[in-house]
Amino acid sequence: MIPITVFQALRKALVLAVLPLSLLGCGAGVDVEKALEGHLNGPPKIYRHSLAGAPASLDPLNSATMYANTIMTNVYDTLYRYKYLARPYEITPNLATGMPEVSEDGLTYVFRIKPGVYFIDDPAFPDGKGRELTAADFVYSIQRHFDPNNRSQGSWLWAGRIIGLDDWGKQGADYNAEVEGLKALDRYTIQIKLKKPYPQLIHTFAQGFSAIVPREAVARYGREFAVHPVGSGPFRMLRYEPGTYALMVRNVKFRQEPIDLQAEGFDPKLHDGFGLEAIQGKAPPLVDVLKIDFIKQSAAQWASFTKGNEIQFTGVPVEQVEEVLASKQRPLKLKPEYAEKYRMSHAIEAGFVHTDFNMRDPAIGYNDDPEREKRNKQLRCAIRAAFDWEDRNQRFYSGIGVIFPGIIPPVVPEFDPNLSRESVTRDLDKARALMRAGGWTAENLPTLVYGGVASVTTRQMFEQFRGWMKAIGFPEEKVVFDSYATFGDFNKAVKQAKIMIVGMGWGLDYPDAQNTLQLFYGPYGSPGSNNSNYNNPEYNRLYEQAAVMQPSPERTRIYRKMNEIMIDDCVSNTGLSRDRIMMWHKNVISYADRQIVGGFHLRFVDVLQKEEN
Amino acid sequence: MEMLQYTLRKLITGIPLVLGVTLISFVLMVYFGPDKTYDLLGKNPTPEEIAQVRHQLGYDQPFVVRYLDYLRELVTLDFGYSDSSGERVGSILKRTIPVSLAVILPGFILGNLLGVVLALVAAYHRGGWIDKLIMAGSVVGMSVSFLIVIIAFQVIFSSSYGLNWFPVLGWDVYSFWDYLRYVTVPTLASVFVALGYNTRFYRAVIVEEMGRDHVRTARAYGASPAELLFKSILKNSLIPIITRIMFSIPLVVVSGSLLIESYFGIPGVGKVAFDAITTGDQPILKAVVGLTAVLFVVVLIINDILYKVVDPRVSLK
Repeated sequence: MIPITVFQALRKALVLAVLPLSLLGCGAGVDVEKALEGHLNGPPKIYRHSLAGAPASLDPLNSATMYANTIMTNVYDTLYRYKYLARPYEITPNLATGMPEVSEDGLTYVFRIKPGVYFIDDPAFPDGKGRELTAADFVYSIQRHFDPNNRSQGSWLWAGRIIGLDDWGKQGADYNAEVEGLKALDRYTIQIKLKKPYPQLIHTFAQGFSAIVPREAVARYGREFAVHPVGSGPFRMLRYEPGTYALMVRNVKFRQEPIDLQAEGFDPKLHDGFGLEAIQGKAPPLVDVLKIDFIKQSAAQWASFTKGNEIQFTGVPVEQVEEVLASKQRPLKLKPEYAEKYRMSHAIEAGFVHTDFNMRDPAIGYNDDPEREKRNKQLRCAIRAAFDWEDRNQRFYSGIGVIFPGIIPPVVPEFDPNLSRESVTRDLDKARALMRAGGWTAENLPTLVYGGVASVTTRQMFEQFRGWMKAIGFPEEKVVFDSYATFGDFNKAVKQAKIMIVGMGWGLDYPDAQNTLQLFYGPYGSPGSNNSNYNNPEYNRLYEQAAVMQPSPERTRIYRKMNEIMIDDCVSNTGLSRDRIMMWHKNVISYADRQIVGGFHLRFVDVLQKEEN
Repeated sequence: MEMLQYTLRKLITGIPLVLGVTLISFVLMVYFGPDKTYDLLGKNPTPEEIAQVRHQLGYDQPFVVRYLDYLRELVTLDFGYSDSSGERVGSILKRTIPVSLAVILPGFILGNLLGVVLALVAAYHRGGWIDKLIMAGSVVGMSVSFLIVIIAFQVIFSSSYGLNWFPVLGWDVYSFWDYLRYVTVPTLASVFVALGYNTRFYRAVIVEEMGRDHVRTARAYGASPAELLFKSILKNSLIPIITRIMFSIPLVVVSGSLLIESYFGIPGVGKVAFDAITTGDQPILKAVVGLTAVLFVVVLIINDILYKVVDPRVSLK
């Protein structure tokens, strides 16, 4: 008896000592079942997704990252989205009733939205009941980007394009004042008038930036609206811990639209074995609870995924690729022990990595002395000829990345598979010949400054680069690393054109090569997105010509011509699109995409309950 | 009365300390911290947009104005909104500090308690194999990187490759049982590392005390080992022990444990502070640094009062 009594006393003491601590960490507590009261037919169906980064803000104004976009497209509505399964990516109506009516001159767009779509219930509304979403909400949501009191990262999508919108912002952003080019014609009709044709306009309305917010919620929560989303998307936020996780529950008011797999791009040859047939005819969202863990530490992400009862989805970290793949030959396959437990898909990223020369740097780019400028070009071309993409692919991208010449990546329809691969093929003889032709010797070579954020990987990339340069005659001390403590510092230096050689990655905003070609458009030089500060009048002219053209063979021809100009000028070492491998548990029905479809795919994810397994 | 006077005096003399810490840290933030401007801008910003964001961030204000603003915020405890998430800094701290406390305190308490116990045992058996064993264990705890300990403990206790007993990550705490599930592995990891440092430090203090005359006298009078250790040695060693524990508290409360929170997916203040440092979120940084400085002053006062409690010879004058 005595030992039991002592044990009980000890346990009681422990509970008394530790209970207050446990309660400290509980916060308000989250009750999923309460949130879905009356809408559950059994235990809630839970799907735990994971992302390798976190959104900074949940305000659509700041939907600048894939992480933010993933959340935004699930808690808010956008006019359009991308089809779940169709590749190449295809846009399809979401909140819009169909594709827009476009005037013959391509300047006026009319969008109609679905009636009977309601915002979630929230204290921001009278009586806490979400009201109907109308065309005026869309107008308001776009106007917010041009309000100088806001910090919008998405205004560039529409700046200088919609009649009167920029001026509306400059004149004080009076939300009661009408903008000529952005009007709600009635409750369900939106009219947009453009200054000049903008073929990518419809794609901008599939971005998180264009997510539709209610004015009442913005007014009620002020700046904290960024952590308190009030939308009409398939999920509603139940709890959000910035940087750690987002816990969402099914929006019970979300419109019932049964899934038509054929319309979503289902192809039995491509999608066999994923169990997708089971979701045909069901109305999204298919799970009751969607939890997204933001896990930057790949070791923790992998341990949680393989544990079995935590996160059900992971991107495969580079260090695990060798471990999980049976072979690196396409199509990639999992080793049997992994294939038994998990499903996998992989896709070439919608984007690419590239290493640019800063053309504003007279030591390597444009120079007042035409002779030196010519020699600089020979130097850049020599460096490019010494750049070993195969080696970079093997060392840093598991050897499964796709190397391609230029800046039109394989994922866009304008990609040219027949383009010469000379610019991405290492040729040391050619590099040395170019050095000689330019009169470059160890003594007169400029010091190459390779900038990057202080990290082991960046440092390794630099050392690899330095090795290549040494092979063509650069003395070791003439290839140096310019290290920045944080990405913010690095980004600032890039935007101020202070770095000579810049390694960057670019994720496409939409599946149109215009989005990558603009990276080298002269007027977008630093602090714009043209980090190389390339400024070729012919390239710029072609960009402006193509920018107003609808997709067509002629536009593709112009795009490809621009690509060739950029390659000929040796402005960048480019490029490589990474192959992203994604894995998920077998009880999850999904066809994951972290690219263009991004967050939109989560509404189609289903989880088999134990009895269905 | 004496204590109240002392507290007030210490509070007043603590003001220069707070001013000094906040000034130095603010200089570092302003002149050496990350510039957030370009993180908040969209693509292809105009010079006006850049100027607008810099104005919103207060970067265009003179240093003195910004520092005075900081002091005002510290006095009113209103640090505004996070530059990243847009959430009120007060709300962030209110939400995350309790979580960090709940995660770290068990490890902190156990690490110190066990450290004292092991130090007593080691000191009592000074030079013997028990002492050597404990000291060797301490060296291991001190030598292995905390990061490695966390990953190893995660693999051993939480992953499918190990025992698979506890969650790898998360903080879904709704009951005491949940709490134990989530806090056990982080606590084991922190205790493993803390024990090394604590045991070595406390052993040194206790060994010094053991050589004193009063201990020898007590031994001569035939005091039992327990009486000797707890009454004669530990009690007289309390001042350095209290000092070490007390001065760790501000870091535990405000800074949390970045690595633990990051690797275990725990939404605590350590992770928030680290993210603020790397992204240059000055409102959060100002709050964390300022509150840590204030807490140090408070701890300093409590520390001195505790000295008086454990050793009546100490004067508060």
